[in-house]
Amino acid sequence: MTTGSKVFNVSVFFVVFRECLEAVVIVSVLLSFLKQSVGTQDIKIYKRLRKQVWIGVASGFFICLAIGGGFIGAYYSLQNDIFGSAEDLWEGIFCMIATVMISIMGIAMLRVNKMQAKWRVKIARALLDIPERKRDRFKIGHLSRRYAMFLLPFITVLREGLEAVVFVAGAGITTQGSSATAYPLPVFVGLFAGVAVGAILYYGTSQSSMQFFLVASTCILYLISAGLFSRGAWYFENYKYNKASGGDASESGDGNGSYNIRKAVYHVNCCNPELDNGWDIFNALLGWQNTGYLSSMLCYNIYWLSLIIVVGLMMFEEKRGHLPFCKNLRLRMLSPTYWLKNKKKNEMTQAQEDELFQRVEKLNFNDQGELGHAENNVVSGSNASSTIKKEGDVVTTIPK
Amino acid sequence: MNKLGWLVLTIAVAAQSVLAETRVYNWTTGWGTYNVDGGMERPVITCNGEYPWPDVRVKKGDRLEVYLNNGFDDRNTSLHFHGLFQNGTNQMDGPPMVVQCPLGPGDTFLYNFTVDDNVGTYWYHSHSKGQYQDGMRAAFVIEDDDIPYDYDEDVVLQIGEWYHEVADELNEAFMSLYNPTGAEPIPQNLIMNSTRNMTWEVKPDTTYLLRIANTGGFVSQYIWIEDHEMEVVEVDGIYTEKNTTNMLYITTAQRYAVLIHTKNDTSKNFAIMQKFDDTMLDLIPDDLQLNTTNYMVYNSSAPLPEQNVVDELDFLDDFYLVPYSKQELLGDPDYQIVINVTMDNLASGINYAFFNNLTYTEPKVPALLTALSAGEDAVNAEVYGSNTHTYVLGKDEIIEIVLNNLDTGTHPFHLHGHAFQTLVRDIGYDDALGEVPHPYDDNDHPDFPEYPMIRDTLYVRPQSNFVIRFKADNPGVWMFHCHIEWHLTQGLALILVEDPLSIQESQSQQLTDNHKNVCKGVGISTEGNAAGNSTDYLNLFGENVQEKFIATGFTAKGIVAFVFSCIAAVLGLISIAVYGLMDLSNIEEKVMDELDLDISEVEAVNSSSDLTSEPKELIK
Repeated sequence: MTTGSKVFNVSVFFVVFRECLEAVVIVSVLLSFLKQSVGTQDIKIYKRLRKQVWIGVASGFFICLAIGGGFIGAYYSLQNDIFGSAEDLWEGIFCMIATVMISIMGIAMLRVNKMQAKWRVKIARALLDIPERKRDRFKIGHLSRRYAMFLLPFITVLREGLEAVVFVAGAGITTQGSSATAYPLPVFVGLFAGVAVGAILYYGTSQSSMQFFLVASTCILYLISAGLFSRGAWYFENYKYNKASGGDASESGDGNGSYNIRKAVYHVNCCNPELDNGWDIFNALLGWQNTGYLSSMLCYNIYWLSLIIVVGLMMFEEKRGHLPFCKNLRLRMLSPTYWLKNKKKNEMTQAQEDELFQRVEKLNFNDQGELGHAENNVVSGSNASSTIKKEGDVVTTIPK
Repeated sequence: MNKLGWLVLTIAVAAQSVLAETRVYNWTTGWGTYNVDGGMERPVITCNGEYPWPDVRVKKGDRLEVYLNNGFDDRNTSLHFHGLFQNGTNQMDGPPMVVQCPLGPGDTFLYNFTVDDNVGTYWYHSHSKGQYQDGMRAAFVIEDDDIPYDYDEDVVLQIGEWYHEVADELNEAFMSLYNPTGAEPIPQNLIMNSTRNMTWEVKPDTTYLLRIANTGGFVSQYIWIEDHEMEVVEVDGIYTEKNTTNMLYITTAQRYAVLIHTKNDTSKNFAIMQKFDDTMLDLIPDDLQLNTTNYMVYNSSAPLPEQNVVDELDFLDDFYLVPYSKQELLGDPDYQIVINVTMDNLASGINYAFFNNLTYTEPKVPALLTALSAGEDAVNAEVYGSNTHTYVLGKDEIIEIVLNNLDTGTHPFHLHGHAFQTLVRDIGYDDALGEVPHPYDDNDHPDFPEYPMIRDTLYVRPQSNFVIRFKADNPGVWMFHCHIEWHLTQGLALILVEDPLSIQESQSQQLTDNHKNVCKGVGISTEGNAAGNSTDYLNLFGENVQEKFIATGFTAKGIVAFVFSCIAAVLGLISIAVYGLMDLSNIEEKVMDELDLDISEVEAVNSSSDLTSEPKELIK
């Protein structure tokens, strides 16, 4: 391990950017709800609640940063002890994990408006869902109501942030020659970009240019992901070869004997991402190796092929509402959790949805800034059940 | 000495030359199990069922008849008497597919030759892959009544390294895809006279002629004896002017004869130290003992000595030895051969060794048999094959070999059939310090010595060079190769065909009937070029050739793979872009759908709440 990306780790940047974007979307949705429900009525409460939101965001963010820093620091100080001679094997495994994670989360970036909408519903439900216990001796319900506007963004940011920490650690580890110094810059640039994009979304801009930007970022994210997948296979190949040859051939140089020639599709005696300056960037971005093994090349192509198929299916489903050739089948029905949770009956009408938002807009806060409940028919706990009522059932007033 | 004494001596000398004996040996190879180094029992190659192989002492002028019976059932064998000139008996020299057909299982080869031209310390060993590392070797001393030095006793010290695995297994792992750097197997121990921690009982106040031969197959060793000086008087069978040193550096196949005068005091015993040249080891295992102690015992009741440690490895540089004969520097060469030593992987991923990008590849007919049968074409190097790396030398030409070692290791090179003058041996250049190989420059070199050192095995230092000369006055086919057995297996060898027409004309050089039978036994033709073609010697179709070199840069399949990958990536990006820019309608509906809100449950909740609902007081 020599040069490596010492100051800028591309995968880390994209992961932070993606998670940050989501967090910003959530916070912005929350803020806009606040504005709609309270901001028009009581500026004082609105301001206080807004402050709560920001405090929640800030503390969630701070905790994440601390955990992330500790995690990465611990990883790099223990690294040699953990991996020892099986370093290639672990790098391969991390590459594969990172590929799966990026692949799953990446495509959602293209539907940032969908993401926004989704969070609107989720937050709306969460707000209405805040447990109300009839005899609340422990004041948990009381506290959670009182600080709902703190807790929601706090938990959201914490959750997205921890997700990012896991990703960042995974993505960072998978970048050859990465060191702890390679984290701060991409993390901050990622945060900045995420916040900027989020802010643009919030304050509104041309939808098409935003979409264009998101498409470009997603493309880069998937280039990285495909590279990671290919590198994962490469590491496994390298691990097997090094194990059999009892040394670390690829780090000994670029020349003959530094790789398993019988499995190589190509090899160039230069441009080694582990040894030559500059090529590590291609390695991080595109998965470049100066030896192409049959498995790593196949993995790269298979990755893209699979992606094309999945994207094709998604497009078809978005247009027709089901997968090709099976009218009753949808993409998410292919997921085992779908069946485990027995969600196939679930539907929601436009009317219910409208009603949900109406209720959120009528959220009531008392003069202490505590969240009040519009009605008592809240079924708390179960996520699958709904608290949504038809219009007309709701009597919400803010006592003055 | 009085007159009578002179007379007796003269008669004795005359009698000796007249009474040259014929010594007959009958050796059968086989396998046995021995614990050579005290570390582990392992299979070794035995001679007539015994191990070690017998050291042989003959007198100058004796005739040897060695009947070698191949007692193996799965492999060929051969025997080489290292350093003997074999003048007129080239086919007795040993290397299979060079001067003889390999000796097949159950067959017998008669090595029949006279030792007229050599005196001193030699050794013999199998010249078939790896066999001498399994024990098929011993010292071979040609006693000389005219030796110019006085001594009381003549003792042989055979040094070497020892592996706990047989050469077959080591070779399989060595010549493998999984040994891409060509790392030589690491020996387990150093041995002396086929044992470890050997004891040599000495008498006080006695001059010993100690003949030290490295009969190992890989590492060079440092040798020193605690508190005793050594006077070098012979190297590789060439007497030298006396040279006193405390330490010798002996590569494989090299021999030194030294005079040691023992002390008068017998109260104490001394350590004879052997040390690995650990720069030759690819890695040094934790449990490898680099130093091995042997015992020079004056008094068997006194305690054995501890190991003797030195501050620095200050050993004799053999380059500065002067032959006792004071043979002058040979004149300017008639023929200069420049060879570059490299190591690289070929297409199979196996690491090979090269002289000028040629790794020695056996011909289909032994080169000597080609030389004998090719008629006029024998002077054409082509008939010996394009991959045997053969040079044809003219009668009595002065030959200069310039060897440039582009490799980072030390290599001991051995020339069969000759002892050569050493004109230049450059210092080593350490690649760890960023130094690059230094090839020999004809126009810029140190002055040649007046009386160059002469020997038959000479090491070259890392990334360095040496220059040697000899006179092509010994018709025959002679191998020049690295005497690290691993490197010979990797092909670090070439062939010199010296004055082939004289070989053809000489009666003694004609194939013996026994030799022809041996060829028949292994199904090898006694005539023909390197490809086995005995009708058209210049047609080498079907000859053995080395594997291809590894192509540099992208090959066709690499380009195809890359193009496919690029297309896949571009198509993938296009599909992401199309999807990303596609208009999305009914977002809210889709989100509801994804959030799995259950309409019936919603209805149920609604209806139940309708019944029970009571607007509740808001929390204050």
